[in-house]
Amino acid sequence: MNILEAKNIKKNFGGVAALSGASLTCREGRITGLLGANGSGKSTLSKIIAGVYAPDDGEITYLGKKIHYKNPHEAKQQGIGMVYQNLSLVPELTVWQNIVLGDERNAGYFLDDKNARERTTDIVHKLLPTLDIEKKVFELTPSEMQVVEIAKAVSRKPKLLILDEPTAALEKVQVTSLFNMMKELASSGVAIIFTSHRLWEVVEICHDLTIFRNGRNVGSMDFDKDEKDVKKIIFYITGSQSETSIAKTCAETCGETRLSIKNLSLGTILRNISFDLKKGEILGVGGLAGQGQQELMLALAGNFPKIGCDARIDGKPIKLTKPSKAIRNGIVLVPGDRETEGLFSKHSVFSNLIFSKIGVDKKIFIIPHRKLKKECEQIVDILALKAASLDAPVSTLSGGNQQKVVIGKWLGLEIKVLLLSDPAKGIDIGAKADLYSYIVNQVRSTGMSVVLYASDTKELIEYCDRLLIMYEGSIVATLGTEEITEENIIRASMHVEKE
Amino acid sequence: MQGKSMETKKRTLRDFTSKPEFSSLLILLVMFALTAILQKNFFEIKSIMRNINAFAPLILVTMGQAVVIISGGIDLSSGTALSLLTCVLTSIMKKNDPITGLYGIIVAFIVALLIGLINGFGIGYLRIPPVISTFATSFIWLGIALFLRPTPGGESVSWFGVFYNFDTLKDISGFFGTLSGFLPPSLLLIIIGCILWYVISKTKTGRYIYAVGGNSESAYESGINTAKTQMVACMINSIFIFLAALFFVGQTGSGDARMGDPLTLRSIAAAVVGGIALSGGRGNVYFALVGALILSFVNKIIFFANIPYAYQTLVGGAIVIVAIAGSQAYISYSTKTKEIKIG
Amino acid sequence: MKAQAHVSTALDSSFFSKYKKLIVAALLIIFLFVLGEIIVSDFLSVGQILLTIKLSSFIALFGLCQMIVIAAGGSGLDLSVGYTATVTAVLTAKLMDGKNENIWIAILVALALGFIIGVLNGFFVSYIKLPPLVVTLAMSQMIQGAINVYTAGKNITGKPSPILQLIAAKTTGFVPNIIFLLILLTIIVMLILNKTRIGILLYGVGANPTAAHLSGVDIKRVRFLSYVVSGILASFIGLLLLGNMGIAFKDMGSNYVMPSIAAAVVGGVSLAGGDGNYLGVVLGAIFLQTLTNLLVALGWGDAGKWTGFGIVLFLLLIVYVSNRRKR
Repeated sequence: MNILEAKNIKKNFGGVAALSGASLTCREGRITGLLGANGSGKSTLSKIIAGVYAPDDGEITYLGKKIHYKNPHEAKQQGIGMVYQNLSLVPELTVWQNIVLGDERNAGYFLDDKNARERTTDIVHKLLPTLDIEKKVFELTPSEMQVVEIAKAVSRKPKLLILDEPTAALEKVQVTSLFNMMKELASSGVAIIFTSHRLWEVVEICHDLTIFRNGRNVGSMDFDKDEKDVKKIIFYITGSQSETSIAKTCAETCGETRLSIKNLSLGTILRNISFDLKKGEILGVGGLAGQGQQELMLALAGNFPKIGCDARIDGKPIKLTKPSKAIRNGIVLVPGDRETEGLFSKHSVFSNLIFSKIGVDKKIFIIPHRKLKKECEQIVDILALKAASLDAPVSTLSGGNQQKVVIGKWLGLEIKVLLLSDPAKGIDIGAKADLYSYIVNQVRSTGMSVVLYASDTKELIEYCDRLLIMYEGSIVATLGTEEITEENIIRASMHVEKE
Repeated sequence: MQGKSMETKKRTLRDFTSKPEFSSLLILLVMFALTAILQKNFFEIKSIMRNINAFAPLILVTMGQAVVIISGGIDLSSGTALSLLTCVLTSIMKKNDPITGLYGIIVAFIVALLIGLINGFGIGYLRIPPVISTFATSFIWLGIALFLRPTPGGESVSWFGVFYNFDTLKDISGFFGTLSGFLPPSLLLIIIGCILWYVISKTKTGRYIYAVGGNSESAYESGINTAKTQMVACMINSIFIFLAALFFVGQTGSGDARMGDPLTLRSIAAAVVGGIALSGGRGNVYFALVGALILSFVNKIIFFANIPYAYQTLVGGAIVIVAIAGSQAYISYSTKTKEIKIG
Repeated sequence: MKAQAHVSTALDSSFFSKYKKLIVAALLIIFLFVLGEIIVSDFLSVGQILLTIKLSSFIALFGLCQMIVIAAGGSGLDLSVGYTATVTAVLTAKLMDGKNENIWIAILVALALGFIIGVLNGFFVSYIKLPPLVVTLAMSQMIQGAINVYTAGKNITGKPSPILQLIAAKTTGFVPNIIFLLILLTIIVMLILNKTRIGILLYGVGANPTAAHLSGVDIKRVRFLSYVVSGILASFIGLLLLGNMGIAFKDMGSNYVMPSIAAAVVGGVSLAGGDGNYLGVVLGAIFLQTLTNLLVALGWGDAGKWTGFGIVLFLLLIVYVSNRRKR
């Protein structure tokens, strides 16, 4: 019996199509795996089913009825449970209090804690018997928290359970017990949707498989009938077209080493990262989303005071413990989230453009308005930035122009290394091409170096001279100019070779 | 089996000693000992009763403050709310008409609930930062209190003294006369407060107050009405303030629009000393009581150490800063190893 | 108001949104004056207006302290300004003893006092990360305690230098001198905040601390310094207050604290930080003083004043804060 049937779902975010006609069927008692590269739409579809987003078009049938949930809470009440990647626990409450939170039962007038503890023990025992349910959540390790999160969703006895990357934070043993529990739930009739960036996990646990590319279905498998053929799955994910990288000129122009990073580590988020960046090189950082790429960019920009790292720029040792130190050495960041990390939205284009310069240069007291105005006008020209005037608030600009402002704020300074963290996110195609052509020009003409992280693999293929692939905080592959193809990237990103 | 329970016991003991509550208990013991040494008749029933009476208002206001802080708010209006309630009580009561005492209590209770309702509405539903929202309302309470009582004074029915001393009732029965020898009514008020919180903490509301203060997004995700929860927390707070107001009017027989002012800051400090985290969601309301006791004993010690009265506000302010800074540093130290901050 | 913003053209709306809160404050003042003229006769006259501005000047001065710490973000507020001013007045009254030649000592003492208080506030707020309101409230209690210690059992003696009285209490023609000072200060503040590095950093740190941090600015230091500046300013306001009153007394500054915050909010300073136009704060101060005058004229005195201020502040918080959430 079909628990859920999603047909022809469409969803746009600000003019960019995340889903363009995706379908998914979940059957009673079966685990359905969702696979796809970054931005293929699997996460968006999960969230639409769980009521986080509303679809633009298409219909979802759940237990034989068409549904339109306004919020996740409504979906939850109807038996659709979702385990989110970002944890939704209350750190100050104990494990069992968190698991029953919002679903407490009373014995008479008071809370029935005995019952709550029993319910919790039942579930937790299956997942992680050593977990002390009286512990407060803030005392737990990240993997234990993930277990609690899963237990919370399971305790509501969902009919459809969505597990979005639940294994990312788990240890090996815990993954095994999670799989056992999933099997048990499935055999009791629950339908499960499972996504994971670890391909072998998906192959191991799932009964059915649906593969997405560019927001639509490209293949599906039923392991009752079909073979578990990894090659075939990867073929579905990457698609038939074997796009190779555009000829790069780096071989001729790239000079000596500009930035050298050795043994950069940050807790469990970044592990032992080393690489060299040449003059005039565009070094890409790729891999599946959330493998530490953004943190790497922030780390290089000096955002983490406690970073462990041996860094040299032009052979000179430097410390990356403060943003100002990185900036004074010519390492500047265009952060991933321009709204919260890059811009002063309410302030004018002008004050945004001059901020970094004024911020770093302690000699300036009175602002030379005329001189800076001229400089800013030049910057606006160079970047082809479209704004009503320099005095217009940045919030009135389009996404692409806002991003240009974030880049523009560094142009008054000497840039040796430009760190770009997903610079084209949420901006339209024209602006994207504009932005990259400007950057490539700068790199070729000034010998500036770039480290580029992009969630869209196509950007990496098109513009990078070399590509580092990250997986769970480490660099697992380095692709040279000729090796940068979509297939190679996805193969390396999925980390198939391992295990 | 037995080995396991021993193990658990050991663990809970170790856990307990590593908590801020433990350090506040230790501090309380030290303060207690110091006061006992300095005050000659410390262990006499009379002086114990006197001490309880002196400490009661701060204890009550602090417990209420603790509830609000745990729910993720803070109440900068608790002092003026207390003043307002004393003014309400003494404006309604007529000296020679005993029944007006009852009217006074009813009206003051309603006013207290309204105060909580408005504060909670601002914090919970309108989502104004609690600090500034209660700062604004504190002046509304002050203004209304000044309307009612431009200068300290007012009338109180004679039986209202029962909230201060059972002596008042000794004409009714000798029992109360004996009672007045060893039981201060303020202790009963504190016990009523404790029972009130005990009952609430066993219900969903009590649990949700912690959940909302600890992580309001998660609480909302779990289907909890966060705004309502914060409002209820504010109303519980105002019930505690109401109890303190009864005691005050019982003691002085008058209302004063400015008497509560110093209690605002002291109650926040006492709550923090008692291990209530200003970030919300963490702490134990009964230990807020311990915090209030510590601050009260410190005052006693200052008094007995022959420090001139004038120094007391100075030292009081210093203690508040040091206590809050210390507790905050302690909390951030004890949780630091757990998280890696981004940004 | 919302509908208006929708129909107006892009240029209009950006102009309107930039000065919206200022215009609202100005309209509120006019409304109160007209209301006053209707209810109480003789409310609307040049003399009355000048008097109102004069009386509001100290709210506006303290409002500058608030605006600076609020603009730096991190839910900044400084409740210690009232007692900082008081302690300066109490100490310097004796030092000056009514003589002009002693004013330098007074200025040095004021500078030192303001600096020390500001450093302490800034340290606890910015580096220890305690809530600004709690820190500055405790600080103000400590200063109050110190004043009590200093004045215990004796009268506060001394008088301000005549030059201070000239600035703060006398008039030129029929215009009170302090109004000139206020105008001058407004110009200086606007210049500093709009034309120098200080303003850029202050507003940037308040508007988006993460972006400022990633741009290489030490946000802790900027916030720390905002309290130091606030302390020093408050201390100098204490000198003026002394000049205005002629004598020093124990509570001379404390009644200005709440109005100064209200004035900042009325004047359109966003409590989230990152903006603030001092002209708005001055208008806010005038509004509050007009409200006070009106309430006094109606015979509601102190009680009416505090209730009125409280309600105005609360209502504006509702309007401005809920505005912020919708976007």
